[in-house]
Amino acid sequence: MKLAPVVILITSIVYAQQPVDFQQQVHPVLAAKCFACHGGDKRSGGLSLSSYQYILEGGRSGAVLIPGTSSDSLLIRRTNGTLKPVMPPVGPPLTAAEISILEAWINQGARPVHDGPAAKPRWVPELKLHKPDQTAEQILRSYFSRNKLENPQVVSDRIFARRVYLDLWGFLPSPEQLREFTTDRGSDKRQRLVRQLLSHSENYAGHWMTFWNDLLRNEDAFGIYGGDRQSISNWLEGVLKENLPYDEFLKKLLNPTSKEDPNGFIVGVNWRGDSSAAQMPWIQAAQNSAQVFMGINLKCNSCHDSFISRWTLKDAYGLAAFFSPESKLELVRCDAATGNFTGPGFLYPELNKPTGDSLPDRHAAVAEMFTTKENGRTPRTIVNRIWAQLMGRGIVETVDDMDNEPWSPELLDRLSSDFVDSGYDLKKLIETIMLLPTYQLPSQDGSQASGDYVFRGPEIRRMTAEQFIDSLSAITGEWPIIVPRTAQPARHVRESRRNSSPLSRALGRPNRDQVITSRSSEATTLQMLELVNGQDLYQLIYRGSQKLMGQDQPAPAPLFDSGVVNRGSKPVQIDLDISGATRLYLVVADFGSYAPELVKTAWKTQDFGTIEQGATGTYEIDLKNSKVTRFQATAIIDRISDRSDITPQVRFFVFREKPNPQRLVSVLPQTPVPFPQGPFTKDQLITRIFQQALGRDATDAEKKLVGDHTKNPEALADFLWAISMTPEFQLII
Amino acid sequence: MNRREFLASSLAATAPSLLASEKKIQPTADTLIVLWMAGGMAQTETFDPKRYTPFAAGTPSADVLSTFRPIDTAVDPIKISEGLENVAKVMDRGTLIRSYQAGDLGFILHSRHQYHWHTGYAPPQTVAMPHIGAVISKTLGPRNPDMPAFIDIGQDMEIGAESAAVKAFHTSGFLGAEHGPFMIVNPADAAASVRPLKELGNSRFQSRRELWRQLTKNSELAQADGFQKESILRSIESAHRLLDSPSARAFDLSLEPRESYEKYNTGRFGLGCLLARRLTEAGARFIEVTTEYVPFRNWDSHESGHERAAAMKKQIDLPIAQLVRDLEERGLLDRTLIVLASEFGRDMVTEGKPGNEVKDQVDVPEVMTEMKHYGMHRHFTEAGAVLMFGGGARKGLLYGKTAEERPCKTIENPVSIENLHATIYHAMGIPADTAYITEKRPVYVTRDGLGKPIPELMS
Repeated sequence: MKLAPVVILITSIVYAQQPVDFQQQVHPVLAAKCFACHGGDKRSGGLSLSSYQYILEGGRSGAVLIPGTSSDSLLIRRTNGTLKPVMPPVGPPLTAAEISILEAWINQGARPVHDGPAAKPRWVPELKLHKPDQTAEQILRSYFSRNKLENPQVVSDRIFARRVYLDLWGFLPSPEQLREFTTDRGSDKRQRLVRQLLSHSENYAGHWMTFWNDLLRNEDAFGIYGGDRQSISNWLEGVLKENLPYDEFLKKLLNPTSKEDPNGFIVGVNWRGDSSAAQMPWIQAAQNSAQVFMGINLKCNSCHDSFISRWTLKDAYGLAAFFSPESKLELVRCDAATGNFTGPGFLYPELNKPTGDSLPDRHAAVAEMFTTKENGRTPRTIVNRIWAQLMGRGIVETVDDMDNEPWSPELLDRLSSDFVDSGYDLKKLIETIMLLPTYQLPSQDGSQASGDYVFRGPEIRRMTAEQFIDSLSAITGEWPIIVPRTAQPARHVRESRRNSSPLSRALGRPNRDQVITSRSSEATTLQMLELVNGQDLYQLIYRGSQKLMGQDQPAPAPLFDSGVVNRGSKPVQIDLDISGATRLYLVVADFGSYAPELVKTAWKTQDFGTIEQGATGTYEIDLKNSKVTRFQATAIIDRISDRSDITPQVRFFVFREKPNPQRLVSVLPQTPVPFPQGPFTKDQLITRIFQQALGRDATDAEKKLVGDHTKNPEALADFLWAISMTPEFQLII
Repeated sequence: MNRREFLASSLAATAPSLLASEKKIQPTADTLIVLWMAGGMAQTETFDPKRYTPFAAGTPSADVLSTFRPIDTAVDPIKISEGLENVAKVMDRGTLIRSYQAGDLGFILHSRHQYHWHTGYAPPQTVAMPHIGAVISKTLGPRNPDMPAFIDIGQDMEIGAESAAVKAFHTSGFLGAEHGPFMIVNPADAAASVRPLKELGNSRFQSRRELWRQLTKNSELAQADGFQKESILRSIESAHRLLDSPSARAFDLSLEPRESYEKYNTGRFGLGCLLARRLTEAGARFIEVTTEYVPFRNWDSHESGHERAAAMKKQIDLPIAQLVRDLEERGLLDRTLIVLASEFGRDMVTEGKPGNEVKDQVDVPEVMTEMKHYGMHRHFTEAGAVLMFGGGARKGLLYGKTAEERPCKTIENPVSIENLHATIYHAMGIPADTAYITEKRPVYVTRDGLGKPIPELMS
C-alpha cells in the first residue's frame, strides 16, 4: 500500500533538520518521564508507551499521535500544556528540548527507525455507516487497479458450483445437479444458481444452522451444566427458513418475550454454583452480544479496565445492566467489589435512550440500541462475518475485532448500507456477496500475513465437519438419524442437528461453551487418526456403500416401542395383536444407563411366563404351534436396579421379524436430500462418485485405479474413504 | 492455527503464542502420569484414616469418621486405610499430601470441579481453557514423535447429563486441536485405536492407503502447492505412520507377559495403569488414567459408601503399587512423576466445607439403620488426599494435616490447585507464570500466574 505523503512542519530548529531515531532519542525521553504510569505492566488510561507498537495503539483517549502533525497529537498537547490534564501529573515536566524531540519525531512520520516507513495513523472506525456512491463492484474494481492487481479470470463452472452448493446447502451437488448447471447455456446461470439454492429454505437452513450454532453457542445437548439454558435449535431452524430480517432476529435473541422466542442466548452457559463476578449470566450476555453482534471484545474489561482496548469495566457493567435482574449493578473489579454502581448504559453513549426500569423494558431498550439504523457497527459486523464465511477471510480481521481497519472501508460500508436498505435481509446479503465477481476469483492459499494484507480473491477453505459428513451422506444417500426418547419414529437429519461425536469433533466441531466465531481448519495427526481409524466414519461410509450397491437391509419396524423407560417409571403395559406371527422377539436396549451391566428387567406375560432380561438382549418366542393371538405383557425395570449408581434407562421393543440390533426404532423414510433410485451399474457408480465428490469425471488412469472397487460394498467403502481423504475433496478451492 | 494466523500472531497475537516466563527451570520429570480418582475419593477411607467405627444399626452418622481400619505403611508414622496394603508398601517412594483444598464453587458439580482441577480455572470462562495435558503438550511437545503427547485413558465422554461438561475440559481449548487428548476409553482395546479397524484388516488397510496415495497423485491439485493441502497430506501420512510405528506396540496389552498383565488386571483402571507404564516406556509425555467419572458410579457413592470404597480400593491398590515398582525397576521412576488426585474428598456429614457448606445433595440419616447408610456420601472440599511418586517428588514425606475430629479440617499446610499445579509444572520444567496469548491477552498456566511451587514436596 502506498504511504501518504508526510508533511514535515518545521517546529523545532534543533531537531527538524536531522532524522530523529525512535530507539536512540524518543524512547529514553518516554522512559524517563512517562513509564512510571505508561510502561511495563502499567497502562494508565489503557496506554503504554513502552514499545513502538504500543504507542501506535494509543489508549482509551484514542491515538496519542498523528504522524506528521505534532501540534494535533495528544502526546505533545498533554506534555506542552495545551490540553488538560497535563502530563506527567506529578514529577518534573518534559523539558523544551525533550518536547522538541517528540515533535520532530512525530512530524517526520513517527518512524520506528529513522529510515523506516512513516507510521500509519491509527484507524478509528465510526459508528455510523457512510454509504459510498460507488457500488460494491465498482469499489472492488478500483481496489484492484489501485493495488495493481490484474483482474484475473473467474473459476470454472464446476468449481463455482461446488463453492455455491457448499456455501448455501452445505453439501456437494449431485451429478444431475452439476450437469444441469454446466450444460446450461444461459449467461445469467451463475446468478440463477445462487438464487435457486437460496430459495430452498430447508437446505439453506440445514447448512447455516452450523454457523449460527457456533455464534450463539447453541447445542441441543447442554445437559446439566447449561443451567436454565434451553436449546434454541428449533427456533433457529425456523427463522432461518423464513429468513427473518436480521434486526428482528437480534431483537428476539436479546429480548425474548414469549415462550416461542429463543430463551438461550442471553442466558449464557452457567454451570451450577457460583460464578466469578465477570461471568455472571448478565455479564455473559453483555460479552456475547457485544462480541457476536458488534465485534467488540468485552472479556478483559468484564474484570478490569482493558489493557488492550478502550473499553472499561464500567462499559461492560453498563451493558450487562440491561440484562440483569437488578437495574443497578455494583462494579466488581477482579472479584473485589468496588462500591461503585452503574445503571444500564450502552457501549456507544450516543445511542442511549431513557429506558424503563423493568427487565423487559431494559431488554427491549438494548435490543433497540443494537438494531437502530444509527448503529452502523451491527450491520458491519454481520456483513464482515458473512464475507469471511464465504471468502475465508474478513474485510476486517479478526472478525471479532471490528475496531481494526478494513482492507476496504468503502466496500464494508457499501455492503453494510445495502444490507440495511434491504431490510436486514440475510439471504439478500449472501446473494450480493456471492454474485460479486470477487466470489468467482480463483482461490488463494491464505498464507498472506495480515499486516499488509491485500485482497486477491477468496481463500482456500476446508470443509467443516458438517459439510464433510453431509457431503458423504449426499453421495451415498445414507443419512444419520436422531432417535427421540419418546416412542416416536426416528428421523434422518443433517449433521447440524446432531450432538457432537468423535468424528465431528475430530473434524473441528467445537465445544460451544464459548462463542465460536471461526473454526480452526488445521488438519492434525489426532484428527486424522479418527478419520483413518475411527468407527464413526467407517460405519457411515460402509452403510453408504451398501446403500449405493442396493445391498442395504432395511431394518424391520418394531410392533411395539416403549420409548425410554427410566428409574422410577411406571410398568409398561403391552397388548398387541400378533395373529399370523410365527415368531416374536422381545428386545431390551440400553439407552444410557449408568451401569448397564447391573440393570435387571423383566417381561411379565400372560402366556409365556416371566422373562428376565438385562439392559440389552433379545428373547425369541416361537409361535408356530401357538394359538395365542394377542401378546399381553407388563415390561418392568426390576426394583433391584432402582439405584442411583445404576440409573437404568432402557427401551422395550417387540418385533415380529428378526430385529436389526443397530436399528431398533422405526425410521421415517424421508431424507434431507432425496436420493435417485439405485442400484447403479459399476461404471455408473464410479462416474457418480467422482462427479459428486470432486465435481469432475474420473480420468482414464483413475478409472483403472478404482475399477476393482465396485465388486462389493467393502471395496466400494475403501474407494469412498480414499476419495474423501483427498485434499481435492476436503478443500473448497 | 494456520500459517497466516501464525504469521499474524506476532503482530495481532490472535493465536496462542507463548509469553515465555523469564525463569528457567531444570525439570525433574519428563513424563507426567495423573491417576484420576474420578467422582470424589473419600480421604478418610483411603489416605487419611481417622478413628474407625464399625457398622452398627443405631449408630449416629456423625460418629463415623472412617469405616476402615488404619494400616501401617513403609514409612513409620504414615498410616493409610486397609485395602491399600500394596500402596502402603511403596509409600517410602512417595509423598502424601493430606491437605488438598478443592475450589469452593458454591455448589457441588463433579464435572465442574473436575474442570477446575484439570485446567486450574473454574468454569464458566470466557475462553476455552486447556487441560493440563494440553498445556504440557503445547509447552514441551511429544517426547517421542510417534507418540501422542496427551493420552487420556478410561473416560467415556458420553455419560448422560454431564457429557457436555466432561467434553468441556477434555480439550486443548484455545491451544489448538493438535494438543488435544488422544482418548482411549478401554485400555484393553487400546491396540485397536492404533491398529487398523478390525472390520478393515491389515491388507485392506494397506491397499486403501495405497489407493488414497494414487488418487492424491492423480488429483488436479497434485501440482498445486498450498498450506491447507500440505497439512491434510502430512497429517494423514503421520496418522498412518503412528499406526505403523513400533510405538504402536506399546498400546497392545496382549504383548505384555501374562504374569505381569495379571498383576495389573483389577479391571479397567488397573489395565489403564499397565498401559500407562508401557506408554511411558515408549516415550509418552502426559498420560491420565481415570477410574472414570460416571455420575453416581465408582468413587461417586451416594449410598453404600463403605462397600463401594472397598471395591474401588480393590481396583486401584495393586496396579498403583505395581506401576511404581515397574517404573522403578526400569529406571524410569526418577524421571516420571505420578500424581494421584481427585476433584474433592468426602465426608459423612459436611457438604462443601465447614463454615462454607453448600446445598446437600445426599440424604444422610441422623442415625444409620442399614448398611447402605454406612460410608462417606457427602462431597467435602475442605480436605482431600494427593499422592505423588517419582519425578523429583520427595520420598516418604507426609505433607499437610487434618484434624482428628469432625469436621476434620485442614490444620496444616493447605494446598490449593494453583500451588499443586505449580509444583507439578515445576517438576516438568514449566514456570507457573508461563502464559499463552489468546485474544491479545495472556492466559497463564496457573490462575493469573500466581501458582507457587511447594518446595517441601520436591527433593
